[in-house]
Amino acid sequence: MKFVDDSQNLRGRLRLIQALILVLLAVLSVRLYVLQIINGQHYAGIAENQRIRLLPIPAARGRIFDRNGQVLVDSRPIYSIILSREDTKGIDRYSLIKPLSEGLNIDPQFLREQFDQVKTQPAFESIPIKEEASPADVAWVEAHELELPALRVEQTPQRRYLPDGMLAHAVGYVGEVSQEQLKQQEYRDKGYKPGDIIGQEGLESVYDDYLRGRDGYRKVIVDSRGRIQNEVERIEPQSGQDLVTTIDLDLQRAAEDQLRKSPQGRGVIIAMDPNNGEIFALASAPTFDPNLFSQRITTKDGRAEYQKLLTDPDKPLINRAIQGRYPPGSTWKPLMATAGLQQGAISIDSSNLVCGGGITIGNKFTRCMGGNHGSPNVHFAIEHSCDGYFYRLGLKMKLEGIQAMADEFDLDKRTGIDLPHEVISTTPSRELKARLLPKDPEWKDIDTVYSSFGQGEDVLTPVALLRAHSAIGMKGKMYTPHLLKEVRAIAAVGNDPSRPDYRPERPARTFDRPQPKVLPIPTDQSDLVVHAMWSVVNVAGTATGIKMAGFDIAGKTGTAQVVRLGKEGSEHKDHSWFVSYAPAFKPEISCVALIENAGLGSRFGAPSVRAMYDVYYAKTRPAKELSPNNVAIRIR
Amino acid sequence: MVAILEKRKLRDFDWLVAALAITIVCFGTWEIHNAQPTETFWQKQLIGLGIALVAMLVIAFTDYRRVIELAPVFYVFGLMLLVLVLVPIPGISLKINGHRAWLRVPGIGQFQPSEFVKVTTAIMLARYFGKHRSGPLTIKQMVMGGVILGLPIALILLEHDAGSVLTYFPILLVVLFLSAMRMRIVIGAIVLSIVVVPAGYWVGVQTHLVKNYQQERINVILDPENADKRGFGYHTWQSMVTVGEGGLLGNRGSEYSQSSLKFLPEPHSDFIFAVTAETTGFIGCLLLLAAYALLLTRLITDARRSRDRTGMLVIMAIVGGLAFQIFINVGMVLGFLPVIGVPLPLMSAGLSSVLSTFIAIGFAISVQLRRFVN
Repeated sequence: MKFVDDSQNLRGRLRLIQALILVLLAVLSVRLYVLQIINGQHYAGIAENQRIRLLPIPAARGRIFDRNGQVLVDSRPIYSIILSREDTKGIDRYSLIKPLSEGLNIDPQFLREQFDQVKTQPAFESIPIKEEASPADVAWVEAHELELPALRVEQTPQRRYLPDGMLAHAVGYVGEVSQEQLKQQEYRDKGYKPGDIIGQEGLESVYDDYLRGRDGYRKVIVDSRGRIQNEVERIEPQSGQDLVTTIDLDLQRAAEDQLRKSPQGRGVIIAMDPNNGEIFALASAPTFDPNLFSQRITTKDGRAEYQKLLTDPDKPLINRAIQGRYPPGSTWKPLMATAGLQQGAISIDSSNLVCGGGITIGNKFTRCMGGNHGSPNVHFAIEHSCDGYFYRLGLKMKLEGIQAMADEFDLDKRTGIDLPHEVISTTPSRELKARLLPKDPEWKDIDTVYSSFGQGEDVLTPVALLRAHSAIGMKGKMYTPHLLKEVRAIAAVGNDPSRPDYRPERPARTFDRPQPKVLPIPTDQSDLVVHAMWSVVNVAGTATGIKMAGFDIAGKTGTAQVVRLGKEGSEHKDHSWFVSYAPAFKPEISCVALIENAGLGSRFGAPSVRAMYDVYYAKTRPAKELSPNNVAIRIR
Repeated sequence: MVAILEKRKLRDFDWLVAALAITIVCFGTWEIHNAQPTETFWQKQLIGLGIALVAMLVIAFTDYRRVIELAPVFYVFGLMLLVLVLVPIPGISLKINGHRAWLRVPGIGQFQPSEFVKVTTAIMLARYFGKHRSGPLTIKQMVMGGVILGLPIALILLEHDAGSVLTYFPILLVVLFLSAMRMRIVIGAIVLSIVVVPAGYWVGVQTHLVKNYQQERINVILDPENADKRGFGYHTWQSMVTVGEGGLLGNRGSEYSQSSLKFLPEPHSDFIFAVTAETTGFIGCLLLLAAYALLLTRLITDARRSRDRTGMLVIMAIVGGLAFQIFINVGMVLGFLPVIGVPLPLMSAGLSSVLSTFIAIGFAISVQLRRFVN
C-alpha cells in the first residue's frame, strides 16, 4: 500500500472491519439455523394452519315419514349470512353494525347482542348475522366482498315440522347442542361440537344417532384476507338415515282435531296396533310449534315465545301421553276383573258379588255411583261400571292381589315406548300411602276399596293404561308401544374404507324390542272380560252412544275424580277416560282418550275414540263398500 | 497505447465483483418472480439491471480521480434532488406509503434519491478525508465529516424516512475509523453508545418522543411469539414464519407460498430475503450470505490494493454501507431487528437500490483498475 500510515495501523483496521462483517453475517447464519432447522417444523405448521381452513359441509338430517310415506319432518336449505370471527379479530366489530343493519335489513340491537355473545363464547368461529337470508341479501354480500371480506354466505339445512304443532310431542325437535350436553362425555364421544344441531326431544332425540348425518368438509387454501384460493380436498357429507314411523297421519290429524275441540283443549289420544305395539297416533294437547326450536329460537321473538311456553299453566311442552299421570277411574275395572279371575278371587262360573249400592268400612259408607246393582256378575259389573262389585272384589284380592295385577300389566314400570322422559305410573302400595298421607300411614281396608275402582292414590300414564287394555284384547300378549317402524339404510360415502374420512354404509333397522310380554291369562277368562267390554259399547253399557255398525268396539269408560274435590268450576271437573280396542274379538287398533276436566267418560272420552275409529274404518274398510257395483247401487 | 491500456483494463477489471453482483441480482430477480409472479416487478428488475450495468461500466472506465475532483458538484446535485423530493410537484415528486421519498423519472419509473445520494455522500467524504494525512483525526475534521453527512440526513429526515437515514451512518463511521481516528475515541464511542442508546430509548419512551408505534416495533422483536401477531407484530411474525417454513431445502412442494397468499407483506422488496428463505431454505440462504461475504471481502481486498487513500475510502465507505444494510435488512426479516424500510442490496426489487449499488461497485472497479496508474 502506497499510503501506509503505520501509526494508525490501517491494515489492522481494515481487517477489523472485515472481521466485523463476517461476524455479523455469521450471526445471521446462526439465527437462520435456529429459525429454519431447529424450529422449521414449528413454523411450517403455523404457515400450514394459517392458509388451510376446514369449512364444514353440513349433512342433511334424515327425514321422518309416517307409515304411508307421508313426510312428517324434513329439512330445507336456507341461506344464512355469517361473519367470520377470525377475520374480524383485529377490527372493531361494533363499527360493522351500521353498514350491516342497513345493507341486510337487520335489527341493530340483534347484531349488538350477537357481538356481545361472542365475547363470552370463545368456541364459536362464526357469528350468525342473518338466518333465512333472501336472494337479495346474498347478492348484497357478494357485492360487498371487497369492503366486508369477513362476511360469508352459508347454506344450512333447517328442520321443518308440520304446522299447528301437529305431532310435536312425538316427533320432538332439534336444537343446538347445549353447553351442558357438551360437558358430558357421551356427547363428546359422538363428536358433537358447539353449534351442532342435535335432536333435543321426541323421536328426534331418541333416534338422533340415525337421523344425524355425518358432515363433510372442504379443505381450502385461503389468503391472508380469508378469501378462498383453492379447494384442496372435499369430503362429501353423508346424509342422516330416513326414519319411517308407525304414525298414520290421518289418524293423528283426527286425534288432534278431537283434542282441539275438547272443552278445555287439554287431553291425550293414543291409537295403537295392539298386535305389535305400533303407535298410529299420539296426540297431547295443548301442543306447541316445534319449528320454534329449529328456526326461531335464536331470535328475540323466539326466546319470548319459548318463555311463554315454559310459564303456560297448561304446560304445552309436557307430553301428556307419557308424562301425564291421571287416576284411572273405572278404566281400572277390566284390569281388576282379569286379575280377579286369574287369581281365583272370582271364577267364570261364580263371579257374582254384592253391590248393595255401596259398602260400609268402619263407620264410613262409600256408595256405588251407579246406584244399587244387586248382586251382579263380573260381566254386568264391567258393563255397568258397578263400583260396589269392585269394592268387594278388591277386598277379596287384597292389596297384594291388586299389586300383583299392577305388576303383571307392567303398570308399575315404564312401558318402554321409544320416547324420552317417560314417567312411571304410580300404583297402590303401602309405601305410596305412607308417603302421600304421613298423618295416616297405615294401609286400611278403605284404601283397598279406593284402589279397587281406580280412585286411590294411584295415577297412570295414558300409554301404560292403553297397553294394559290392549293386552286383554290380545289374550295376554302385551307389546311395547313404539313409534319406529324402520330406519332406512344409507349408502357408504367414499371409496376407500381405510381412509379416516370414509363413511361406511349405515344399515336399516327396526324397533329393537318387538317381542311381547305374554301374560298367563287363560283364554276363557280374557274372553269373558273382552265380551263384557264389548257389551259396554254394544249392548247396554256406559258407552252405547258410540256403537258402530260393522265395527265391534270393546271399551271402558272412566271418570277420574280430580284431586281437588269439592271445588266448583270447569277446571276442576273430572277427567274423562275412554280406553278401547276394536274389533273386539280380533283387535286391529286400540285407542285411549283422556279429556282433561271435561266430565263423564261416556260424554267426552268415548266420542273422541269413536271419531278415531271412524277414520280408521274409512281407511281400512272402504274397498268393499265403494266397489263400482256398490257405488252404482247407491246412485240408484 | 490504447490497445495496451484496454488489455490491462481487461486484465485488471474485477470480474469477480461484477460477476457476483450480477449473479445476486439475477438470483434476486428469480425470487422477485417467486414472490409476485403475477406482477411486473421482476421484469422491471431486469431492465434495472441493464441500466445499472451500463452505469457501472461507465463509472468503472472513468478515472475515479476525475470524479472525486467533481465530488462537490455531485454532492450538491444530490442535495438538490433531496430538496426536489420535498417540494410537492405534481407528476414528479411522489408520496408512497406516507413517505415523500420518490421522484418520477419519465420512462424509467420511480426513483428514490436517498439511495443515490448515499453514493455522492460517500464520494464527498472520501474526497475530504482522502488527502494525505500525517496525524490522527482532528476534531475539526470530524465535525466537517459530520456536516457532510448531516446535510443529506437532515433532508431525508424531512421525508420521514428514518430507515434510510440509518444506512448513512456506517458510511461516515467507516471513513472516520479508517482516517486515523484515535482508537481510544473509537472505543470510547462504542462504550458510550452501549450506555446512551438504551438510556436514550428509555428517555424517549418517558417523554413520548419515541412514538407508540415505534415502541411497539421494538417490543415485537424482544418477544415476537407473544406479540400482537395481527397488529404491530404482524410483519415480523409472518416474516419469521415464512423463513422458518423454508426449512433446510426450501418449501418447494407448495404452490401456495406465504407471499402468494399475501401473508408476507412487501415480499418483493423489503422482505425478499424471507421469500428466498421460503423457496431455497437454509442452504440457499447460506449460499446467498456467502455470496455477500465474498463480494464484501473482495471489495475490501480491492480497497487494500488501492493506490491512494481516496480510492480506499470510496470502496470502504461503500462496503460499510452495503454490509450494514444487509445486516439490518436480514436481521429484520429474521425477526431480531425492528421493521424499518431498508431494502436488501442487489436482491430487493427497486431501480434506485440496484442502480446506486452498481454505481458504487463501478467506483470500486474503477479504483481497482487504476491501482498501477499514476
